[in-house]
Amino acid sequence: MINLENLSVRFEDREVLQSINLEIPEGTWSCLVGPNGAGKTTLLRTMLGMQSYSGSIKYDGREIAKNKSLNIAFVPQRPSIPAAMSVAEYVMLGRAKLDGWGKESAHSRSIVHEMLEATQLLGMQSQLVNTLSGGEMQRVLIARALVQEPEVMLLDEPTSALDLHHQISVLNKVEEIKATGVTIISTMHDITLGAMYAERIIIMQSGRVLLDGESQSVIHSPELRSAFDDRISVHKLENGRPVIIAAKRAAGLDHGVI
Amino acid sequence: MKKNQIDRVWRWQITASAAAALLIACLLGVGFGPVNLNFGSIIRTLLGLPNGLENEDHTLLLELRLPRVVLGALVGAALATSGAVYQSVFRNPLADPYLLGVASGAGLGATIAITNGGGDLHALLPLFAFLGGVLAVAATFLVAGRLFADPSTLLLAGIAVGSFATAFQTYLQQRNSAALRPVYSWILGELTVANWDVVKWAGFYIFIALFVLIRISKVLDALMLSDEEAYSLGVSPQKIRLIAVAAATLATATAVSASGLIGFVGIVVPHLVRGLTKRATNRSLLSIAFVGAAFLVIADLGARTLLSPAELPIGVITAFVGAPFFLFVLRARNRGSQ
Repeated sequence: MINLENLSVRFEDREVLQSINLEIPEGTWSCLVGPNGAGKTTLLRTMLGMQSYSGSIKYDGREIAKNKSLNIAFVPQRPSIPAAMSVAEYVMLGRAKLDGWGKESAHSRSIVHEMLEATQLLGMQSQLVNTLSGGEMQRVLIARALVQEPEVMLLDEPTSALDLHHQISVLNKVEEIKATGVTIISTMHDITLGAMYAERIIIMQSGRVLLDGESQSVIHSPELRSAFDDRISVHKLENGRPVIIAAKRAAGLDHGVI
Repeated sequence: MKKNQIDRVWRWQITASAAAALLIACLLGVGFGPVNLNFGSIIRTLLGLPNGLENEDHTLLLELRLPRVVLGALVGAALATSGAVYQSVFRNPLADPYLLGVASGAGLGATIAITNGGGDLHALLPLFAFLGGVLAVAATFLVAGRLFADPSTLLLAGIAVGSFATAFQTYLQQRNSAALRPVYSWILGELTVANWDVVKWAGFYIFIALFVLIRISKVLDALMLSDEEAYSLGVSPQKIRLIAVAAATLATATAVSASGLIGFVGIVVPHLVRGLTKRATNRSLLSIAFVGAAFLVIADLGARTLLSPAELPIGVITAFVGAPFFLFVLRARNRGSQ
């Protein structure tokens, strides 16, 4: 269980996160949604323990600021692509904390092999990461985080640079990871896609949590539109799934407005 | 590679080969010159065995060639290792050891020594160059605003400080045209000043710096990831970056003050080692130090034998040999990755 109590973060004189209270059960997927500058990435960085904060962030009762040993993996939005590093070397870095830097156990090399296979990267391990496509790079980032065997995985916009096909394959992979008991917290711009995968949606605006709840109830909630200044509308597809689009385009849809 | 396992990231055999290359380079460096010395006699002399070199040859080896080869090796190791570290820290394959204003600062310090130093130039020049280099990097951090500045801010601050120091150096040179030639010669790099005193003080600082860098080399790999990923692996990227830059600056400033500005080693050698081993990890740092040392010892051998008895500036050799070889490795690697 992850508990955030009265969490606030200040950058000089600006309060970028204000009194955030969240309770995230183990093995669930929570998706942070909100406009740019809402504080989503700052919240992830703070949950990683990188940012000084007031209030508390507890993982199973252990405060993050005092527990550097917590195994939390992070998948960044934009990778820092190292000069001429191979896929295998990059993914192997994920084992460094567990093995001790500079050591690599046979077990670790097996885990890396296994995760490369799981992310369909086997056969590409000698390829240089700076020659990969966006979709392949995203899978490498996830594989590097996975070999950490984390308890919690934080993903910052895991699908923002991908086409729809790759978005779905990455999100399916994250869903499989969640099924193994890892707690997932991701940020995403696309609420529809977020609600399809995460069981919980947390809408953020100006450093505050505006709406928080089970995905389907958040997506149907009347407050959702006001959170986006009435610039969105929610529609229902034939299979009953909701879809959220910009209000300007809403008139063209055949399916009824909710 | 075993089935269901990926290959090892680093192998000790690579480091051992690099050490062997340095040993061979050193033997060639002390053996060849206007007077060639017998390798067997050199080894016997160095090990204190009977039937070693005698008289002038003994002095030539121990008082002239050996300190020069050792200084060359120290400077080469310092520049190559610092270059590799800067490339990791700044996540920029084109970063070189002179990036944060060390070269321009040292150049300014050396010019001040040459234009105002009176008779005893060699005594003052290394100290002034060292202080100039270190002060320039300190100014870069000051301009960047804080110790934990992000890499791109530091880079830009380094460019600004470097330009200022170069402008000031040019002004001093124009005011004192007699200094143009010695400053120019220093800028091209020289190991002719080598003696055991220089080796001792340069060795002291370079060993400290290299010890620190090789100690942190494994953790330096975390800087190739984003700061968040590094943090998730228990590494504070800002602290490691600061230690790495401080140690690399100490190594570079010492190397520059002992031998002038020797270009290209800091870029060519790290890429050469990474290209040949097909590995980007900083666990290659010790091998990069060995190969950098060997490269400079061989370059110096060329500098003093090609136009013998005249000497070529060593910087000319490093660029002349380094550039085509570098392009060859780059091409081979690009072909390999396609």
